[in-house]
Amino acid sequence: MSISGLGPHGERAAPADQLTLSEAGAEAARQRRFSVALVIHTTESDWSRQNIAGIVTSLGRYSAALVEIVDCSFDANRQLAALGRLAKDKTIDAVISIPIGNVGVADAHMGLAKAGKTLVLLDNAPIGMLPRSDYASVVSADNFGLGKIAAELLAPHIPQQGAVGILGYGVDFFATHERELAFQKWFTTHRPDVRMERSKFAQPERAGATVTSLVEQFPDVSGIFCVWDVPAMAAVEQLRKQGLSLPVTTVDLGREVAEEMARGGMVRGIAAQQPYDQGSAAAIATLCALTGQKPPPWMAMAGLPVTVENVVEAFQVVWHAPATPSLIASRGGH
Amino acid sequence: MADKRDNSGLRAAARSAARNVGRPRTTESGYASLSTLLNLVRTGVATTRQELERHSELGRAVVSDRLSTLVKLGLLEEGRLGEAAGGRAPRHMQFRAATGSVEVAVIDRSSIAAGIADLSGSLLMEHHEAFDITAGGEALVERLTTLFEWMRNERSELGSVWGIGLALPGPVAQSGEFGISSPVLQAIEGWTDYPFVENLMVRNRAPVWVRSVIQMMTAGEHFAGAGGNRGNLILVKLGRSLSAGVVADGKLLRGAEGASGLIGYTRLDDESLDSLAGSDAIAAAGMQGAQDAQSPFLQSVLMKNGTIDESDVGHGAQFGDAYCIELLTRCGRLIGEALAPLANLLNPDVIALGGAMAHAGDTILAAVREAVYRQAHPLVTRNLKIVTSQMGGTSGLVGAAHVVTEEIFAPRFLQGWILQGSPLRHPEFANHVDQAHSTVAVRSRETVSPPPDRRPMAGSTAGK
Repeated sequence: MSISGLGPHGERAAPADQLTLSEAGAEAARQRRFSVALVIHTTESDWSRQNIAGIVTSLGRYSAALVEIVDCSFDANRQLAALGRLAKDKTIDAVISIPIGNVGVADAHMGLAKAGKTLVLLDNAPIGMLPRSDYASVVSADNFGLGKIAAELLAPHIPQQGAVGILGYGVDFFATHERELAFQKWFTTHRPDVRMERSKFAQPERAGATVTSLVEQFPDVSGIFCVWDVPAMAAVEQLRKQGLSLPVTTVDLGREVAEEMARGGMVRGIAAQQPYDQGSAAAIATLCALTGQKPPPWMAMAGLPVTVENVVEAFQVVWHAPATPSLIASRGGH
Repeated sequence: MADKRDNSGLRAAARSAARNVGRPRTTESGYASLSTLLNLVRTGVATTRQELERHSELGRAVVSDRLSTLVKLGLLEEGRLGEAAGGRAPRHMQFRAATGSVEVAVIDRSSIAAGIADLSGSLLMEHHEAFDITAGGEALVERLTTLFEWMRNERSELGSVWGIGLALPGPVAQSGEFGISSPVLQAIEGWTDYPFVENLMVRNRAPVWVRSVIQMMTAGEHFAGAGGNRGNLILVKLGRSLSAGVVADGKLLRGAEGASGLIGYTRLDDESLDSLAGSDAIAAAGMQGAQDAQSPFLQSVLMKNGTIDESDVGHGAQFGDAYCIELLTRCGRLIGEALAPLANLLNPDVIALGGAMAHAGDTILAAVREAVYRQAHPLVTRNLKIVTSQMGGTSGLVGAAHVVTEEIFAPRFLQGWILQGSPLRHPEFANHVDQAHSTVAVRSRETVSPPPDRRPMAGSTAGK
């Protein structure tokens, strides 16, 4: 799969898997034993766990350590406080951060560069932040491509002249915006017969209530796209409680959503990110920047289309681990 | 209602002005004073009553009346208390930047960018995506309108759209007093007969200001990027065509035909700079390097993607591929040789390299520097900074937002709408919407139309 999205400033993506630390850089990193902090929206999702695993493994190879993980619990204020504290922490060489929101957290992130810290961003550069001066690199999934994949996977389940419901994230967040824009663009281009109805949830756990009001308002909705897996599963549970069954596609191959798909549940397709590889690339980009090797301003990883047909193989690729027994069981039928 | 308030305010202002010997007394002067005070506050030059009196040379009563009118119109509000200098602490007036919004778009040959800004020109949201410009004007209007509507929905705290800034590839010749008429788009094949700007204006119900991409990028770089709002800047866009934008003594140069900066036409050894160092030339040389196995990096990209573009060469250089580094060094040297005479002519503070290729590491930058420093006068290069633009594609959006806000609040245009409270009620815009409606068949799309309360009409004519 090629990268179809452009970066936060319109950059063409550099392939994240091609970035390597030079021999001199590797030697310098081993000698200087860098300390890195991670500021992340949540540590509770499968995506986060995989991302962290990729970061620590790659840092460890070059004698660098992930010395602190800040779980912001989707709370921008918690992120602002953590960034302010880390900027003053003399023991920290670099910060890897996933910005929660946009303009509101830009200044706090820029404060890190002013304090002399190296900053590598995951998925998003808040408006106003510029590469090199404010951050070293954005390492991202191809979020635009992920939205496109989710649309392609949902389209066969939508009848002619049907309607799809979109569950968007009600926070100004670049990655989920890109997925939604791509999803809408794909349907507008390839299935102009389909009507799109959109509703937004402010927190992932509110996605159940959001889908309820969406299907009440538009009872002809015959499929749902949700911008990531955790709220998608909240929506699935709620639909099930209401006795409804609708095809759902989403982004991120979390355990729960993979098993829902494998057992023939409502989830029919997943656009999978590769969080382990993304974390690994972010760690290498951080070490490159710390040792004077400038990484590209935007690096992206292609998404993987996953259906019940390939969920076991995809799980192994994404998770760097064997598939769960229930996923393996689903393979028997194919 | 608004008009009644405004007229009474003006009458009071006129009565007040009459008591001031030597002060103008006409309604026109009322427009002028409102416009002057609004711009003083908006640009931050003067924000307290005392400062406003001093800078505008208007009397206290006139200032007080005009400020009260501007507050009623929703353009200004009372802000924080300032520091007291012996008496009562002065109250600062502040511009209500969220009263309206500005939509901006940059159209390039293979991509588009869209954004939304407030009335201070601050970009609040942006999106970039690949787009094949040969898909035609109608597809582009449709896509931009969809993106604009989506952004308006996401930024519901902003007021209605007061203007659209559009950056288009190639020269954009302007006509019309306020520049919101439709330019001839010479650079886009097959578009000369398509009413692109009219369509955009009618679909989005806001006046459109158009400039070339390089001019919008230069404006953005000047206000918020490497230009650092200093007086003299050359921005060079490294793309299929090589072009340069110039800010001289703080002013963006557009040229007699809107075509300034076409440096790609410069001949070097009987070939144009575009054909030697443009992105097509780089991509072709990259393909050659992949096919001849001179570049292991490009060879692997070719095997994976089946094609090579200029950004692959840039990434190769960043990842240390010797062939890519040598190729970009050669191109950078040629670009530097073309820029040196410009540097000698204009004596800029900064030369910034923008466009897709500018982000290909520092290879091109180093070669440009070397050539310019070698060929330019020592006095010209003494304090000259040659840098890579860090704004990337954002510079065009930021520039477009600044161009539109400057046009909306330009004193002569401002006086045409200020008492109506919105530029959408400016008679010039109303005329253009009438003309545009007569040439454009508007397709309505009920599913994507934003709520009516977010789409104020452009006077009585916009909804026709």
